[in-house]
Amino acid sequence: MILSGTRESRLLVYITALIALVLTLVPMPQLLSLLWPNLLVLTVLYWSTMAPLTGGMLLGFVAGLALDVLGGSQLGQHAFALSLLTYLAIRLHLLTRAKPLFEQSMFVLIALLLYEFTLWAIDGFSGNRTGSWARWVHVPIGAMLWPVVVGILGRLHSPR
Amino acid sequence: MAFAGGGMNTPSARDTAPGGRFIFFALLSLVLMYFDQRDGWGAKVRYVLQAVAYPIQVTVGSPGRLINATSEMLRTRASLREENEALQTRDRELELRTQRFEALERENEQLRGLAAGSLPPLVTKSVLVDAIQAELTANRQRLVVNKGDSDGLFRSQSVVDGKGLVGQLVRVGPWSAEVMLISDPAASVYVEIVRNGITTVAEGTGDPASLLLPQLPTTADVKEGDLVVTSGLGGVFPAGIPVGEVFEIERDPDELLATVRVRPRANLDRSHRLLALWFDATNPAAPWRPEMLDSLPPASIADPVTREAPASKQAGPSAEPARRKPAPQAGPHPPAARPAEPAPEKPAQAPEPVEPVQ
Repeated sequence: MILSGTRESRLLVYITALIALVLTLVPMPQLLSLLWPNLLVLTVLYWSTMAPLTGGMLLGFVAGLALDVLGGSQLGQHAFALSLLTYLAIRLHLLTRAKPLFEQSMFVLIALLLYEFTLWAIDGFSGNRTGSWARWVHVPIGAMLWPVVVGILGRLHSPR
Repeated sequence: MAFAGGGMNTPSARDTAPGGRFIFFALLSLVLMYFDQRDGWGAKVRYVLQAVAYPIQVTVGSPGRLINATSEMLRTRASLREENEALQTRDRELELRTQRFEALERENEQLRGLAAGSLPPLVTKSVLVDAIQAELTANRQRLVVNKGDSDGLFRSQSVVDGKGLVGQLVRVGPWSAEVMLISDPAASVYVEIVRNGITTVAEGTGDPASLLLPQLPTTADVKEGDLVVTSGLGGVFPAGIPVGEVFEIERDPDELLATVRVRPRANLDRSHRLLALWFDATNPAAPWRPEMLDSLPPASIADPVTREAPASKQAGPSAEPARRKPAPQAGPHPPAARPAEPAPEKPAQAPEPVEPVQ
């Protein structure tokens, strides 16, 4: 009973992650792409918090690798940052998922800051361009969008 | 309400302990990063992953193409006829220009002391590629195109549109390839000002509408409207492909160098159809890096590096000018002079063909 439920939701987890990946990478006008949040990271954070066994560390790593390959960044950069984030989210899921949405958004803000900081540091260590302030814009926006992500993804699996 | 869903698999604390896996994935990421930097089998891993990612790439690019296709379908007969007329006019103009160009080419051959018709065409082959994804941010100016290794595309290949230079291929997957636009902050192109032959370097700024010529002194003879073409010095691009026009010059008397900006001729942010080019090695204007040339089998992604690494250590920088200038009397280089093996006289450019070092 529980096992079959887990298998179904694993499909759900990967499908939502795939959709989020496509939505994250869809090309858009300059200003919008500046403001566009990294939906894939939010989705991975959501599943790591709400269903830590289903997605697990593998989801974080694969999602990060997909961002690396499709975004053309250094191979392993996003994979590392997103693995770190997934680990923390799974580790702290009992703490965070009982919190009200606002407090969860604060956690997400910190997580996204850490994520972008890790990418930024790796860029710096490996001699790539570290970019301007523009790369940080998605962090607060992603945090603000967290309740929406919870609303949408929560609707997909809560009835079960 | 969403949090109720958490109950579906609440694991015990021991089950969730992801520490071991995290360490595994983190180490894996670090190894990937290490090898990707060094371009060894990291490139091969990426090649395989790019093949896996191809469907997603196509999906990501599809909304834009859907919009294009829809707007194309909704076009009226009148506007099509109008466009047809405009194209025909342009066709006539181009034909006239080609005739003039052929005469010039013959004249050029005579001046070089070559027999008529002995100068081969520069471009031997071109493949039309479609951009399926674009990343035009201040840090990266890249396009992903819908052809790759399977169509013979190779790394560092020149890509142009109808008006001028667009960029070069930096990563080639099986069915897709990534173009680094000349406006990418990491891109630099050896260029020449047509009016007076001054050679310099054009660097990308992250803005598709503006390149920078950062190495011209304040006293340099540059004017607004000067046409800038590739000089062929880097060995990656052929000589004489239009890059853009100078549109802004700032001369600060306190500074040694002027700030000269060039507007690219190619529609870097709007071109969807591009051409990847192959060159005839015997034409003096062709790029001289062996991996750029037509006669060699298309290099797989790791090849240029393995071929290049030993060669660049051997030769000194002094080798470059001698190799660069084709002696007019000697005629075209015999094809045998381009070995597939590392040539000892190969000039020591940057080992990475992507970023020509000044």
